[in-house]
Amino acid sequence: MRILLVEDDPLLGDGIRAGLRQQGFQVDWVQDGEAAQRELRAQPYAATVLDLGLPRMDGIDVLRSVRRVGVDFPILVLTARDAVPDRVRGLDMGADDYVVKPVDLQELGARLRALVRRSHGRPRERLEAHDVVLDPASRMVYLAGVPVTLSSREFDLLHVLMLNAGRVLSREQIEQHLYSWGQEVESNAVEVHVHRLRSKLGSDMIRTVRGIGYVLPGKPAAAS
Amino acid sequence: MKLPRSLQGRLLALVTGVVLGVWLVTIAVTWRDASEEIDRLLDSHLAQAAALLVMQQAQMADDDEAPDTPVLHPYAPKVVFQVFHEGRLGLHSANAPAQPMMPPEGKRASGFSTVHIEGNAWRVFAARGLQQDVEVYVGERVDSRRSILLAVMRSAFWPMAVALPVLVLVTWWAVRRGAAPLRDLGRTLSRRDPRALDPVCIARAPQEMQPMLDALNRLFDRIRAVLDAERRFTADAAHELRTPIAAIKAQTQVAMAEDDAVLRTHALSGALDGCNRAVHLVDQLLLLSRLEAGALTESGAVDLRTLAQRVAADIAPRSIARSQQLELDAPEPCRVSGNEVLLVSLIRNLLDNAIRYSPAGARIAVSLSPRNRRVLLRVEDSGPGLSEEERARLGERFFRARGQWQSGSGLGWSIVQRVAGAHGAQLDVSRSPLLGGLRVEVSFAELAVDADRSAGQGSQTGVTGDRGGRE
Repeated sequence: MRILLVEDDPLLGDGIRAGLRQQGFQVDWVQDGEAAQRELRAQPYAATVLDLGLPRMDGIDVLRSVRRVGVDFPILVLTARDAVPDRVRGLDMGADDYVVKPVDLQELGARLRALVRRSHGRPRERLEAHDVVLDPASRMVYLAGVPVTLSSREFDLLHVLMLNAGRVLSREQIEQHLYSWGQEVESNAVEVHVHRLRSKLGSDMIRTVRGIGYVLPGKPAAAS
Repeated sequence: MKLPRSLQGRLLALVTGVVLGVWLVTIAVTWRDASEEIDRLLDSHLAQAAALLVMQQAQMADDDEAPDTPVLHPYAPKVVFQVFHEGRLGLHSANAPAQPMMPPEGKRASGFSTVHIEGNAWRVFAARGLQQDVEVYVGERVDSRRSILLAVMRSAFWPMAVALPVLVLVTWWAVRRGAAPLRDLGRTLSRRDPRALDPVCIARAPQEMQPMLDALNRLFDRIRAVLDAERRFTADAAHELRTPIAAIKAQTQVAMAEDDAVLRTHALSGALDGCNRAVHLVDQLLLLSRLEAGALTESGAVDLRTLAQRVAADIAPRSIARSQQLELDAPEPCRVSGNEVLLVSLIRNLLDNAIRYSPAGARIAVSLSPRNRRVLLRVEDSGPGLSEEERARLGERFFRARGQWQSGSGLGWSIVQRVAGAHGAQLDVSRSPLLGGLRVEVSFAELAVDADRSAGQGSQTGVTGDRGGRE
């Protein structure tokens, strides 16, 4: 899952980025409000971690402005201000969750996964399709109850396809979900990962829609 | 006389005392006037009676009969007359003494005199006939005059004596009614929540109380402002501490979960950085709170050049790490009176800000020079400087200029301002004409050579007490 982290403090930003990466998130990190606004409008992130006390543009203003232009993916506000009016204001301005510093990285990861899951209309964390079960928290995949070993990219690809089951995703969309900034994307990387997934989980698991992209058959956004 | 402590008691005592005093003076004046009037009136009666008797005696000179005159009036027994005809007592009142009521010296003069007969004082008017053969004495007991005077005074005194307790009661009631707003204020204040700081309002407060109420409400305002500032500061401080603590926590968690040795070391050194930042923030907070509590007041002769050299040497590695050029220009010793610890923190914060908020490769010039019996410490840089609005907000605690993601504590300027204030130094912030960035000038009073020794010995004198003392 690709996350945008907006945090002006270099040390804290570095720590959160490293911690979320350990949990399998792809993290892009910006340090001021204007950059955050720009990136949020440009890229389809799975979720955003937004600090409120930002240089150039306050976090609340970022929140308000991106919600106004229709950015609808989950935004988790991270702040040092814990007074109830602050929280209420943040949530009313369009935040989906509100976490007070210092945050536990495991909790932050779990909250992000929950936000992403809910934004896809799924109340439970485990995703199921055919006889494949994917657990985002433990990053484990089971085929008919037996654990299957997947690389990090293969897991992320399967996760994106399962989250968007029944919806065709283009190669570019998939790449945007899989790779954060500065990561080299080889031209046929997505094809390679799809091929490996098929060999591990069965060839009818992922269908190719010629000229458009890939789809994991199933009911879109249905609670399984 | 010691007045009672209650306002009501004081007013009652004062009003009653003043009324009583005026009343006593009135009685004394009345006494004097009445006794003079009575004397004059009765004397004229004596004289008139004597004249009457002389004329009457002349008509009935041959008549030896001397009938007793009847007592017609309660005062009559106290009035006597004797008529001597050729030395013999003739006509006389029943109660008249036998011997002539003439003055002891025996002068047979006419007119008034006071005669003592049988232990009583008499006021006597003597008159003679034209042939000097008739002597008439008309006398009146002096104490009878006194009793008339007393009767007059009694009639004046009694209504007053009866009126006095009534007056006290009425005064008590009036004072009580008049002082009602004061009691209202007392009740309002005692009923108030001791933490309440909203203004006190007394309905229909009298004019005299208004200044007191205003002063009280201004005091409440000031206390509220101070408390608000303290509360805000505590909250801000807690929030500011959260960020480095959050960073430490995140970096530590990363290190614990990291298998890769390089990444783990990176996270651990990040955690250490966070600790250093938290320590720095706590140090600055402590220094600020001590400054505000008025601690750290020992002061002595300090050479700013030595301090500037020490701080610059200390901080230089950080500027070198950012490829910045840090220069110190201090050709001669600059002695001021002050607290070394505070002055070091002032210089350190100025240099720290210059390094922190100037880009890599910037130039930072520190100079120290005596000028017009003052010492000028100047720190300027080639950084972006500050806008007018940002300059105005400098020194607000935890304010950091926008567009900065340098991890300053946001307290440095507060400290610089307070240290400068405690030393009576002038602080000036402007754009550097030399380097284009920010220029900060701190102007201290120079320590005169002869003042050197005394300032050096008087290490207990307060810094704040020296403010402006040697300007």
